[in-house]
Amino acid sequence: MTVIFFIVPFVYLLYVGFFQWDGLTPMKFVGIGNYRKVLADPVFRISVRNTIIWMLTATFIHVPLGLLLAFLLDRRPRGWKVYRFAFFIPNIISTTAIAFLWYFLYHVDLGLINGILELIGLGTYRHGWLNEPATALFCNQVPFALYVGLTMVIFMTQLSTISPDIFEAARIDGAVGWRKDWYISLPLVRPAIITNLMLNLAFCLKTFEYPFLMTGGGPANSTMNLSLYIYREMMQSNRYGYSMVGGLATIILGCIVMGIILWVQKRMKEEEL
Amino acid sequence: MTKHTIFPVSRVLLSLFLICVLIIMILPFAWLIISSFRPNTELFREPFAVPRHLSFQNYVSVFKSQPILLYFGNTVVVAVCATFLCSFVSVLASYAFMYAFPAATKVAAFLAIGLFIPTNAFLVPYYVMITKIGLYDSAMGIMFVYAGINLPQSLMIIKGYMGSIPKTILEAADIDGASSHMILRKIVLPISVPGIVTACIFIIINCWNELLFANLLSQSDVSRTIQVAIRSFLTTFSANYAHAFAAMVISILPTIIIYAFLTDKIIGGMTAGAVKG
Repeated sequence: MTVIFFIVPFVYLLYVGFFQWDGLTPMKFVGIGNYRKVLADPVFRISVRNTIIWMLTATFIHVPLGLLLAFLLDRRPRGWKVYRFAFFIPNIISTTAIAFLWYFLYHVDLGLINGILELIGLGTYRHGWLNEPATALFCNQVPFALYVGLTMVIFMTQLSTISPDIFEAARIDGAVGWRKDWYISLPLVRPAIITNLMLNLAFCLKTFEYPFLMTGGGPANSTMNLSLYIYREMMQSNRYGYSMVGGLATIILGCIVMGIILWVQKRMKEEEL
Repeated sequence: MTKHTIFPVSRVLLSLFLICVLIIMILPFAWLIISSFRPNTELFREPFAVPRHLSFQNYVSVFKSQPILLYFGNTVVVAVCATFLCSFVSVLASYAFMYAFPAATKVAAFLAIGLFIPTNAFLVPYYVMITKIGLYDSAMGIMFVYAGINLPQSLMIIKGYMGSIPKTILEAADIDGASSHMILRKIVLPISVPGIVTACIFIIINCWNELLFANLLSQSDVSRTIQVAIRSFLTTFSANYAHAFAAMVISILPTIIIYAFLTDKIIGGMTAGAVKG
């Protein structure tokens, strides 16, 4: 089954990449023409750049936020199970629903965000959040950056596997509170950091719903990403060959990122030895 | 005890902070649910006022104007069939991995690659494959793709679970004369039920929430899943947000209900295999 669903498509992907094809008329061999055109396409460049920005958001905002919340909940404040339940809800709901919800939150007239700004006297900061290129990409990423449930839970699971003896020893040595988290727990949850990075970066490569539903790639293509590029070239422009090249670019980008992560992981293991 | 239990101040601060985060995360959903009960005109005039007229009117009109139940049915069929197919294949494959066969580790590594390949890169190949088989615009087509893209993850969960079963049990059964089929049915399957259930919950939720491929492979009402339907609500109901809100609540309700009952199972399932203790 892996062969059917991953290898066959991959070979086919490489194959069609060399053709000019709209899905109806016979394919026309154009060699590396598609690659040259796609690489020169400004929209493609924006897509790659935005996908990389998504991944940076995952690395520097999403994962640290998840780690912070995991540390806080690991102190088992009253009702921590309620928090865990609530923080995890967005991971159960479809991205489609969340993307729509935020689309409405950002709405110029109806939106909750403009409403709250008005309420606290910052009415001048009202925005057409998703209609302005300057804020659109950032606004696309807010729900993703905020909903850290899964990341947090993975950290919490890892934290709970740390032996109590270690904390006992740390306490005797005087490491409590934040110092305990920073010097004792943090190095010990490194494997979970790697796991979370992998999962979230893979998600960023795949993410389609947020830009597709919230902005449709606009305004002025400022929120395009690779998934959306593949989809648009195929469904709207009927340029299957382009779409294939986009797909290949996604896979290559994925391989590079995974390579970097595996390299970091190996370095970390060597340090421990 | 540690410092923060001695000073309740830091406890209070911690709780305050967490409550703030909680409000930021939950407020949008609360707004969504309340708004879905309000008439559209009122929603437009004063989106944040204390609601005065709460009614099920939006829900009634959504059900009347759209074949929501059909979309629901489609989604359930797709999700259940895909889950069954996917977990069936995973169980057989995982069972095979319990025996040492030539190049087992290499095959396992190869299968793990599937976890990190962004499947959306295969939009066109899947599309062409499904169309060639003649399953375009049918629930079957979507179902096969879902089973395929969820396979690496479910295989990882089930394989991880079966891998923890002691091999001596297999040997003992073998000595007692059980065939390999009997071992699977009578011994391995019953033991690994928790792992399989976890994988199934995981796949079902994934299938329920998937939009990209459903959007790609469906065209008419007969194969449209609930997520695609929700998406089309935005275009058809663009002026009637109240209806769109109601439709969104309908679409997320089932997963929320399942989640409320199976919180630990789901959280466990989604983190399974991610952390090695």
